[in-house]
Amino acid sequence: MQGLYLHIPFCEKKCVYCDFYSIESTDLMEGFVGRLCTELSLRATTEKPCTSIFFGGGTPSLLSPTQLERILDRVHAGYSIAPDAECTMECNPGTVTLENLKAYRSMGINRLSFGVQSFVAEELSFLARIHSADDADKAMELARAAGFDNVNMDLMFALPPQTLASLGYSIDRMLALGPDHISAYSLIFEPGTPLYAQWKKGHVHPHAEDLDAEMYAYVMDRLGAAGYEQYEVSNFARNGRTCLHNLTYWHADPYIAVGPSAHGLLDNTRYWNHRSLAAWGAKIDAGVLPQANTEVLDRHAQLVEYAFLHMRADGLPVQAAQQRFGIDLRRALQPQLQHWIDAGMVRDTGNTLRLTRDGYTVCDDITVALLDALDRASASATT
Amino acid sequence: MQHFRNFCIIAHIDHGKSTLADRLLERTGRVTKREMVYNQILDDNPLEQERGITIKLHAIQMAHKDADGNEYCLNLIDTPGHVDFSYEVSRSLSACEGALLVVDATQGVEAQTISNLFMAIDQGLEIIPVINKIDLPSAVTTIDNVKQQVIDLIGCKEEDMILASAKAGIGIDEILDAVVKRIPPPTGDPKKPLRALIYDSIFDSYRGVIVNVRVFDGVLREKDKILFMATGQQYDVDEVGVLHMQRHRTGELSAGDVGYFTAAIRRLQDTKVGDTVTLSGNRCASAIEGFREVKPMVFSGIYPADSDDFEDLREALGKLTLNDSAITFEPESSTALGFGFRCGFLGLLHMEIVQERLEREFNQVIVTTVPNVRYRVVTTKGEELWVDNPAQLPNPTLIESLEEPFIRAQIISPTEYIGAIMKLCIDRRGVMLGQTYLSADRVDMTFELPLAEVVFDFYDKLKSNTRGYASLDYEYSDYKSGDLVRMDILLNGDQVDALSSIVHRQKAHEWGKKLCVKLKELIPRQMFEVAIQAAIGSKIIARESISAIRKNVLAKCYGGDISRKRKLLEKQKEGKKRMKQVGRVEIPQEAFLAVLSID
Repeated sequence: MQGLYLHIPFCEKKCVYCDFYSIESTDLMEGFVGRLCTELSLRATTEKPCTSIFFGGGTPSLLSPTQLERILDRVHAGYSIAPDAECTMECNPGTVTLENLKAYRSMGINRLSFGVQSFVAEELSFLARIHSADDADKAMELARAAGFDNVNMDLMFALPPQTLASLGYSIDRMLALGPDHISAYSLIFEPGTPLYAQWKKGHVHPHAEDLDAEMYAYVMDRLGAAGYEQYEVSNFARNGRTCLHNLTYWHADPYIAVGPSAHGLLDNTRYWNHRSLAAWGAKIDAGVLPQANTEVLDRHAQLVEYAFLHMRADGLPVQAAQQRFGIDLRRALQPQLQHWIDAGMVRDTGNTLRLTRDGYTVCDDITVALLDALDRASASATT
Repeated sequence: MQHFRNFCIIAHIDHGKSTLADRLLERTGRVTKREMVYNQILDDNPLEQERGITIKLHAIQMAHKDADGNEYCLNLIDTPGHVDFSYEVSRSLSACEGALLVVDATQGVEAQTISNLFMAIDQGLEIIPVINKIDLPSAVTTIDNVKQQVIDLIGCKEEDMILASAKAGIGIDEILDAVVKRIPPPTGDPKKPLRALIYDSIFDSYRGVIVNVRVFDGVLREKDKILFMATGQQYDVDEVGVLHMQRHRTGELSAGDVGYFTAAIRRLQDTKVGDTVTLSGNRCASAIEGFREVKPMVFSGIYPADSDDFEDLREALGKLTLNDSAITFEPESSTALGFGFRCGFLGLLHMEIVQERLEREFNQVIVTTVPNVRYRVVTTKGEELWVDNPAQLPNPTLIESLEEPFIRAQIISPTEYIGAIMKLCIDRRGVMLGQTYLSADRVDMTFELPLAEVVFDFYDKLKSNTRGYASLDYEYSDYKSGDLVRMDILLNGDQVDALSSIVHRQKAHEWGKKLCVKLKELIPRQMFEVAIQAAIGSKIIARESISAIRKNVLAKCYGGDISRKRKLLEKQKEGKKRMKQVGRVEIPQEAFLAVLSID
């Protein structure tokens, strides 16, 4: 598996909680598209087929069909793309048109991801979203009409104005639209965002841990009951429609990334591009890779990433870990593993050690204990 | 010998002892102004300078010419200023014929000063009262009162007192003249067999132990074969000399002299403070009186934070005892903390100093347990046991009697705090033995208290309840039996041995409750509920519980978050490594000192 990520750093209006790099100067898009094409050429490789392409942002649906076509042409020219590759575009439900969606579909985009977040007007305005609840209904209708049979919707919970009842309402409305995939996140107060500043000033308050936990459990229960299988802390899929691209991250598989602030992983080396459009663009104009830095992952770092990423997603594969790192997980993780299994937090599926609903809730604690156990196991293996 | 004067300075912390010593050295030309830049020359240990206290003894020889042009050799023997080291103080007093009693003109006499003063008077020393810091503006209103306190205390005349300011250099010449005129020269017979008192010894990695002595009779020469009378050890003397700013070799020390010698001694324990040095071939008739073995009074477990560092810690403790023979340490193990050492200290300050030295000078990361005293147990079989680790107290059914050490505490304070002090001491199971007024507004109170009650923050409480005005001194008295019980702490049913304590039965409930509440604050929530229980035997006397973590997961983790998240998790994992584990419960190291932070 290998992914290709393209970061489109433009939004009509930034949301208060978002810490991804994006700017509101959409007039710079045309110049950006040209440079993005140049970066695609600079990084071009056909060594391995890409099994997924992901347009993230920002708001990639601000790209005109012509701009998208230019980018995709360059992708196909420089990279080998698997015939059944998943090709996702993030869309703002407020800015899609049937015409554009049809054009995207015809160019090979086969999966859409809508940042719906909530169906309650007060919550949407709290988040400074530009769309309405009805826009979300409409967007889904257009997506299906344009021929998309693989659609994700993002949902947020633990929003300060949200209650369990209003969360239930949003879930009802979302399930009624029948998305193939749902990403449901607990709101994070990220440093550097307006939301974070509001919190520090005492203007907004995160929910108490108990309510946050209750909402999370409620989300997992409702989506589970509706036939969505949880395969990551915040991700649920119906009919096996997991997001292949995100699974690339969570399985510690390689991915190429282009665009300002984009992070890639190739040959056990992480690289990250300059965050600002200007710094990124200047490097490209100078004909060099626009990356700010790289980090080579040693074996220990590889193991840590492999373990924590799998653990928070669809489970640690026992055999694969043995092959790649020579570690017998079932032995290395004792006695904690048995405690977790007894407490109903982890399930041994035979192939994987996988978090349950209760396990996902305390994923970070389990992960820290897991890493500690792996340290001890590798220490005793070397002595 | 007529031109020798041996003296020391008795003063409370902060009353200006070290500054005065520095000034005397400067005036006699022993140090130059330039050397004075780094103030307080005698306190050469950085810890001493930070805390403003003298821990180890020092001595220095100065030359002084009086008005008639006679040359005198003055030996100033500095003394430690804390109650933990009162034995060392008594030994250094024995090496002198006189003492400067330094009292702060704005503060008055303090408990520490009084006990040392009485020790000096008992030993027949000539006392020269010095009222220091007279240049402080507030001294105008307090000085008469302070003078009266001193007069009442030692029965001197007002004109006997020297008014001085060490800081401003006022009264320094008068002090030097008084030392020469009022302190008698040493007596002793150089022709008698050698009889010298060890008042201090320090370890030098090149020359071995450097022994500081006061010679009473006879002469100590290089190449002499000497005998330490208490330890029975014999050595050949290498080097003999006196102490200026550095050691100054003279080849011999005669009766009345204060100086040092070396003899390739590798163990500080062989040169016990208070021991008598004599010649092995020509012994003196009797040892100098007053020697006793210094016994540790306060004990605590010291464990490496990372159990892999046990051997490093052993080595560090070993090195530390080279220049601090008062520490004792023995290996012990704890189910909670792994392998470590049970260490004995002279007192609480000594314990703190040792812990700090281990961390600063030896780079050890340590976990210490709550300090406790040593208990005397007589079993039903009639055996006597000394227990310095509460976890090792035998089962109550096997105990015939259980005794704990008591102290006599002297507290001097402005009278307005009498009520607060009474309350504190009674809360700590104290009994008042006496009370005298030093002046209309100053009282001297004596209490008998269990040492165990003083070990826990007594001094801090005394200070805070009297806005810093009360001063404390104490001496060990006796072992007395008490209605004591061992209180254990259980986490999810598992006993945490390092948190066991021995408490008075009547206080056990309240204490247990407070300790459980404190532990609830200090132990982070875990993935499961944690029950904290305090128990006496099998009886639970207090209980708290820590609810399980409800949710701990970061919702988002995409391509750009992975490095950051990995580092965050690794940091959390390192934090986890520093936790100690009992059963499945992880306990942060601070929790082992929880008792000390209970109000």
